[in-house]
This record gives sequence, structure tokens and C-alpha cells, in this order.
Amino acid sequence: MTVIPLDEAGRSQPARRSSAPGGPVDGRGGRPATGPSGRARRTPWWMLVPAAAVLIPLFAYPIYQLGLLSVLDFRQAQVSGGQPTRFVGAGNYAELFGAERFWSVLLATIGFAAACVVATLAVGAALAVLLTRVGRWPRTLLSVAALSAWAAPAVTGSTVWMFLFDANLGLVNQVLGLDGHNWMYDRYSAFGLIGAVVVWHSFPFVMVTLYAGIKAIPDATLEAAQLDGAGAWQQFWRIIVPILRPLLTIVVIQSIIWDFKVFTQIYVMTGGGGIAGQNLTLNVYAYQQAFAASEYGLGSAIGVVMMVILLAVTLAYLRALRRSGEPL
Amino acid sequence: MRYRATALAGLLAAGLVAGLTGCAPSTTPAQNDGADKQTGALRVWLFDEPNRAPKDKVVNDAVAEFKAAHKDVTVEVTYIAVNTRSERFKGAFNDPASAPDVVEFGNTDLPEYVAAGGLAEVGKDAEGLDLGADLKNSATIDGKLYGVPWYVGVRALYYRTDVFTELSLTPPTSQAELVAAAKQIRAKKPELFGLAIGGKYTFGALPFVWDAGGDLATKSGTGYTAAINSPQSRAGVKAYTDLIKADNCPPQQCADLTGGKTVELFASGKAGMAILGNFNRAAVEAGAAKGKYAVVPLPGTKPGSVAPAFAGGNNLGVMKSTQRRTLAAEFMKLLASKKYQEQMYTAMGNLPTFTSARTELAGKEPFLKPFMDTIAAGTKFVPLHPGWGKIDAQAVVPTMLEKIVTGKATVEQATDEAATAMNAAFK
Amino acid sequence: MRKHLLNGIAVLVALVTIFPIYWMLLSAVKPPGEIQSLHQRPWTLAPSLDSFRRVLGVESFGRYFLNSLVVALVVVALSALVAFLAAVVLTKYHFKFRTTILVMFLIAQMVPIEALTIPLFFLVRDVGTVVPGVGLNTLGSLVLVHTAFTLPFAIWMLRGFVAAVPDELEEAAVIDGASRFTVLWRILFPLVAPGLAATSVFSFITAWNDFLFARTFIISASENQTLPMALLVFFKPDENDWGGIMAASVLMTVPVLLFFLLVRRRLVAGLGGAVKG
Repeated sequence: MTVIPLDEAGRSQPARRSSAPGGPVDGRGGRPATGPSGRARRTPWWMLVPAAAVLIPLFAYPIYQLGLLSVLDFRQAQVSGGQPTRFVGAGNYAELFGAERFWSVLLATIGFAAACVVATLAVGAALAVLLTRVGRWPRTLLSVAALSAWAAPAVTGSTVWMFLFDANLGLVNQVLGLDGHNWMYDRYSAFGLIGAVVVWHSFPFVMVTLYAGIKAIPDATLEAAQLDGAGAWQQFWRIIVPILRPLLTIVVIQSIIWDFKVFTQIYVMTGGGGIAGQNLTLNVYAYQQAFAASEYGLGSAIGVVMMVILLAVTLAYLRALRRSGEPL
Repeated sequence: MRYRATALAGLLAAGLVAGLTGCAPSTTPAQNDGADKQTGALRVWLFDEPNRAPKDKVVNDAVAEFKAAHKDVTVEVTYIAVNTRSERFKGAFNDPASAPDVVEFGNTDLPEYVAAGGLAEVGKDAEGLDLGADLKNSATIDGKLYGVPWYVGVRALYYRTDVFTELSLTPPTSQAELVAAAKQIRAKKPELFGLAIGGKYTFGALPFVWDAGGDLATKSGTGYTAAINSPQSRAGVKAYTDLIKADNCPPQQCADLTGGKTVELFASGKAGMAILGNFNRAAVEAGAAKGKYAVVPLPGTKPGSVAPAFAGGNNLGVMKSTQRRTLAAEFMKLLASKKYQEQMYTAMGNLPTFTSARTELAGKEPFLKPFMDTIAAGTKFVPLHPGWGKIDAQAVVPTMLEKIVTGKATVEQATDEAATAMNAAFK
Repeated sequence: MRKHLLNGIAVLVALVTIFPIYWMLLSAVKPPGEIQSLHQRPWTLAPSLDSFRRVLGVESFGRYFLNSLVVALVVVALSALVAFLAAVVLTKYHFKFRTTILVMFLIAQMVPIEALTIPLFFLVRDVGTVVPGVGLNTLGSLVLVHTAFTLPFAIWMLRGFVAAVPDELEEAAVIDGASRFTVLWRILFPLVAPGLAATSVFSFITAWNDFLFARTFIISASENQTLPMALLVFFKPDENDWGGIMAASVLMTVPVLLFFLLVRRRLVAGLGGAVKG
């Protein structure tokens, strides 16, 4: 197994630390990362140009437009040019926050994402530890199985699970003898099933990442703990978790981002929100407001609310990084 | 680090709201640049339907005939799903360059599509067509004709003759008899639903509302006001949702059924009765129920009466943005011609819109009698307002029904909520 | 004994995890009668390729498959190239706004893409009037947005690999008189290439799995439809064609799975490295 990046990443750390924010920065906009010669190298700005050329128009500009749309009365008639676009200030937000629906959807989104994150992390971390303790064949088998789940596109994954849980033709109902039981009927059973699919899709990332991390911990450290008589549980919490803290932070935040933004599974499995919209999450809600009901302004406002929530998460992430001493 | 991140987030937030003077996405009226190409690909959108194969065949024949007459023209037919049509059409209106040329659309969607500026006026093209005044009206907004009615659809009560004989039932002639028959079927034959209906089946529920003297909305001046929470409407909603119970059609299975799914249930022999349209005949004939069913008008509460049916139907229209105006209109007229209307009847059970074709058929087709009787008893329509499209896209009525059926809300609460949503859309 | 127990658990979890994939393969080759059956069996004695034939023949699935592949590969290539250049600058050089730029890449990953479809729809439409090749209804529009959405994570991940290349190597080359261009392509690029392969998996999946943009942007050009949308064709208003759906799902999953297994080892290393760096 190639673990070069792991080993080598550490070696270049000192160089980078020396230029942490606040460090000396020359006025011409660049200085060498390292180099015994100490000659100043000019930063090759052109190498950033392609990235900027793609990201500014296709990422930054749409974000700006999203904010703009969210304060406009922008519906089908405006799009078609039949009526003038009108500035409504916080009108869309007021309408949104005034709607009982929005709060229940927001609550469902947060609860669902939180449950998915916790489940994904628990399963992923447990299996990562398990991987380090089993023989070669079970390990290969589990890795390949996990990669298969990871590789399965969200649409096809959702579809297969739907078929497995189909009321009449599904294997699960036939095995359990629940003929005709509709798993999507009850709100929580529907969310549970969707959550299972989300976890199935996302635990491999956590498992593989943490496994790579654990493998990079020097054996001596783990052995020492074992000699001290630490069990697997203690070893995990006392040795692995502290060492892998930065890694865990990233895995946690990535999971939050991905699970908060779940769209395909819900859209496909509940036909766009479930019975009486009971399985709507913010993402699906925004999409439906905008593209089905033509409330582009309102849909954008929901999008902005989501962004703000995720930005808060970003800040929490950055602070966590700073606390654990990892500079960017 | 922290300072920077905070500053950055602040900057970003400031950027988001600082757009007051910025430019909104440009708006484009759906206009073509006057081009009227005589060659190339003609894009046609038709509705996907349960058991679509016979429809495919008729459409393919029409395409073949059209291509024979126009050498350098190809016709691409796409079948779009009815329940996501709103998104598809909106996309097409928003980007004229990628819109289709000829479209099939439900007559309920007409006001919204016209308000969006998506459809071309075809009054000149349709001159001299054998259309009755009422049908022409259903395709007319503000005196202008947008599209040609392609077929008429009304729903009536399909029932299984073998099941009725076995249980010594007679076709119901009142709502009370209907409910009794449904419960009896379910009780005696638990593998069947008595009357298959669903929480997402708006046009199955509406006859109950109308029969009780209620309505979706009432016209007031130039606009509409929701009436779904009137006492009469509530009685109708209650009558319908009371049928989605364990003794007829358990919520577990029926809460999220669409009209299309009830077709499938009846066709595959899993339901004793269903409220289906004349246009569902092909699907039923293709299933296990073939030869074992008959149709009567859906009875009203008053014995012997007929519950008002929804005067459904689909039109064919030309998109305003088409680059092939002449070809599109010609294809529309060809597909809507008497010849293909009659073929569509044979294939799908679609009732022709041309008066002559319909009278001829009614004379020789006993199958049509209950549907003609239903039409004669008086039909109703959804509000002719652009807001209806939105109410439909937001699934206001299905959400209301599903909330009641699943016990998440009482009839009063759910109808009040629906009325609020409707009034917002009518604004 | 304990080891056996753990091995047993691992095998069990592996089987449960892979079961849906197995069920998908199985259902794709089951004859129609068995799929509709109320007594599903976890095997079939009469495998048939009917579902695949139906999928590939009738619904022009081959075309959609090719579309998806073209989009995904172009996105992978573009994204890898652009991300490589950016990752080098952002790792090997230190300048004033470096941290700011990095933070922005991080924030970019937090943006709910679904919400951005709204402005992007209008943007792409307007761009299309100037450059028809990337307007709505084209594969070009999909390439553009996917490239944009894969970049932040790709850059972030590649930094670990770039950092892993010892600076001494470059220094030595510069002292030998190599131009910066030579250093970039002859020294850095080959060394980072394995990392690019791992990064590409993510770009590939993003583009390949996309459902949202295909649904929103490809309005009427059925010849430009991609796989996920084609899959939905088999969900009928009355009865789902499960055999067709499963066969289509298999066709859609196999390329990703192959890609994954191919770069498996590098991926594991890459994730550890990127995350740590």
C-alpha cells in the first residue's frame, strides 16, 4: 500500500508553518516556499487563472445572483418578461419564516442530517477499526463491498433499495411476511429507510479515510497501549481519536455538508417529498418552490438560508482546525 | 485565521445582499426571430400514459405520414411524465431556444401556459375545424385560440362484472350504494380493494366535492376565491377521504396512489371498482380485468343522479418560440385530424373532439354510453386561472387529501390550509 | 478465536453491504416472470439478457451512456488539469491571499448546489445565446458546471499530493537550469499523477451521477440526455419496469465501480494524505 503522501506530508509541514498568516510576506506578492538559496521566486499567478476562469463565473457569480434573486419578486411572469421584476427586500424571507411549513421542513432537515451524520460516523469508524484487526481476506472483501456501495450512483442506489423495500415485490417484505406494508407511509419509517441508503452510500468514505489514518499511526504507539492493557474501546478513544483529531474533524464536517445536502435519495425515493410532503428537506423544498411552482425568488431565499447554515458550519470547522493546531 | 474567516464570511454575506443595483437574470419574452424553417427536426412532446404502446403506434403512423409529405423533416417525439410536466414546460418557456415545437397539454394547464407566454395563437390554423363551441372555449383565452382540442376525457365508474355477480351486487345508483358495495367487496374478498382511489387522485376526488355542492373556488370579479373550505366542499372531501379506510382502500396502500396507479390496480384485477376515464380503456383491456368489467356513470348522493365529472381533455398546441411555425401547425392539425382522432379512440379510448366523429362513434360504440351520459348530466372544470397551474404543481389538493387520510389533520384544518394556499396562488 | 469472530463480523458486514448490488445484478438478469413474482428468490435458474436488450435497444440507452461517459471524461480531464495548476501554486508558493483563497475553496464546498441551479439556469441560458455550444440543452453546459463543482474538492485533495513531492527535487532541477515549465511538467506532474488518478474518482462520480443538472438543463434535446435521466424513463405511471430499471442501473454502476477498483489503493492513500495535508 502506498502511503507516501501520508509520510511525506509531514515533512513539508515546517516549511509551511513558517509562513502562517501574519508571517513575513514580501510586497511583490510572493516568496519561495523553501530553498537554501533564498532567492525569491515570483508566484506564477497564471497557474491560478484557469481555476479563476471557471470558478468566478460559474460559482461566485451564481452565488451573487442567488442572493439577488432572493430579494426580488421573480416568478414565471417575470421570467417570461410579461411583468417587471420587483424588489421586495426581505419579503421572500418574511414569507418563508412566516410559513409553518418552512420550520417543520427546517427541523426535519437538521434532524435527518444529524441522524445520518452520527450513523455514518459510527458505522464508518467502527468498521475502520475492525479493518485493522481482521485477516487479509475479510479485509479485502469488506473494502471491495464498501467501495461498491460508494461507487453506486445515488440514483441507482436509491432505486435498488426501493425495489428491495417495495410493498409487494420487495424481498424485505416477503422475507418478513409484511406483504403490502408500505415503508414510505409512516414519516419516520420513510426517513429511516432514506437514512439507511444515505449511510450505505457515505460510510465507505469515512471508513476508508479513517482506516488510512489509523494505518499511518506508528505501530509502536498502538502496541504500547496494548501492553498497558488497554482494550479496543479504550485504545480507540485514548490513542486513535486524539491522534486522528484533524482527520476526524474533516470527516465530520464533510459528512455534515454531504448529509445536509442530500437531494437525490429523497427526490427519487419519495417522489419529491413523500405523502403530504412529510419527507421534504430544505433542498427538495427549494427546488420545488423554484422549478415546480415557479417561485424563483422564494426558492432562492431558501437556498440562501441553507448557505448561511452551512457557512456557520464552515466557521466551526475552521475554528476546530485552528484549535487542533493545523494551519491551512 | 479566525479574523480572516469571519471577515470573509461577512464579505460574502455583504455581497449577497448588496445586489440591489445589480442586474437580475435577464428575462426573455418567448419570441421567435421570425424564422419559419421548412426543414430540420420537429420536436414533439406528448404525455406518457399507462400502457402507452397503442398511442405510440398511432403517433408513429401520423409521423410516417407527415414525413412522407415533408421530405427534409424529421419528427422527434418525446413522452414526458404527466406529474413532472410543470418543470419541463417551465424549462421550455424559460429557454425558447431549446423548447419543443408541438406539445400536448392538459386543458387545465392552458391559462398558466398562456400567461407564461409559451403558446402560439393558432386561430387561423384551426379555422373551419369541426369543433363545438364549448370545446373551442376550453382552448380559448381572452378570445384567442391556443391549440386544438385533441380528445375529451371524462371519468366514470368501472366495475368488475364477475365480482358483482359473485357477490350478487348491482351497479350502484347512489353514493350510499357505492360505499356499501365497496365495503362489501373488501369484506368478502380481502385481496381486493373495494373502490380503488388515492390521496394523489385529484380528479377522482373532485366529483365528490362537486356533487356535495362544493367547489374548488368561486369566481369573484376578475379573480377567484378558494371555496374548498366551504361546508359543502368539506362534506364532499369527507365523503371521499372516508373511503380511504381499512374497510375499502387502506391508507397504507392508498394514501399515495395517483390516478394512474388506480388504473393499474383495476386493470390487474386488484380492485372491484375504480373511477377511470374513457381514455383508460386500453390499459384495462391489456390487463387481467379484460372482458370482466362494465362502466356506469359515477353516482351522486341523490339516488339516480350522476356526480358531476371533471371535463378533462388534452389539447395540441404550437409553442410560440418555434422556429418551424408552419410545419408545427401542420403536424398539430394532422395529429388532431378526424382520422387520427378516430384511431386514438380505437387505440386508447380517447373521445374525439370533432363533433361529427363523436356522434358517429357514440352511435356504434356501447362502451361510450356511460361517458356520454356523464357529459349530458353536466360536467365541471377547475378554475380558469393561471394560478391553477401553480396549485397543481404545489400539489395543494393531494396534500390536503393525504393529510386527512393519514390523520395528520382534520377535514377542517386541511381544507383551511388548502384554501390559504389556493388564495395565495390566485393573487 | 477472537480473531475468527472479528473475521466473521467483517464478512457479514461485507455481505450485507454488497447485497443491494448483488440484488441489482440478479434482478437485471431475472426473467420477467420472476421479477413480478410475489415469491422472490435470491437466485435465478433461468438468467436472461432480455432486460439488457430492452434497455439498449428500445430506449436508446447506448446514446445516453455515451453522453454520460463523454461528459464525465471531459470533466475529469479539465478538472484534473486546472486543479493541478492551482494546487501547485497554492502549495508550493506563499503569497498574500493564499489562505483567503484556500478558505474560499472550502466555503465553495459548502454551497448547496441545488439552490445554485436557479441562477445557473438563467446564466447558462444567457451564455447559450452567445456561445451556443454551452447553452441549455447541450452537453457542453453539463461539462461546464460539473467542472466548476468538482474543482474545489479536487484542489483541496491534490494539495496533499503536491506537498508530498520533496522541494529538493525541484530545487535540484532549477539549479540544473531547468525552466519552470520543465519543472512543472517533467518533475511535478509525473510525481503527482497517482494523486490525480485518485482525485479523478471524485470528479468522475460527481459528473457521472448528476441528476439535478441533467434534469434542469437538458430541456428538450433527448439526444443529449444522460444516464440518470434515462433511468427514470423506466419508472412508468402505472407499473415500474423493474427489470429494465435494474439493467439500466447495472450499466450505470459498472463504469464507476471499475474506476474505483482500479484506483483503490491510490484512493486510500490519497484520502489519508489529502486530509492530513
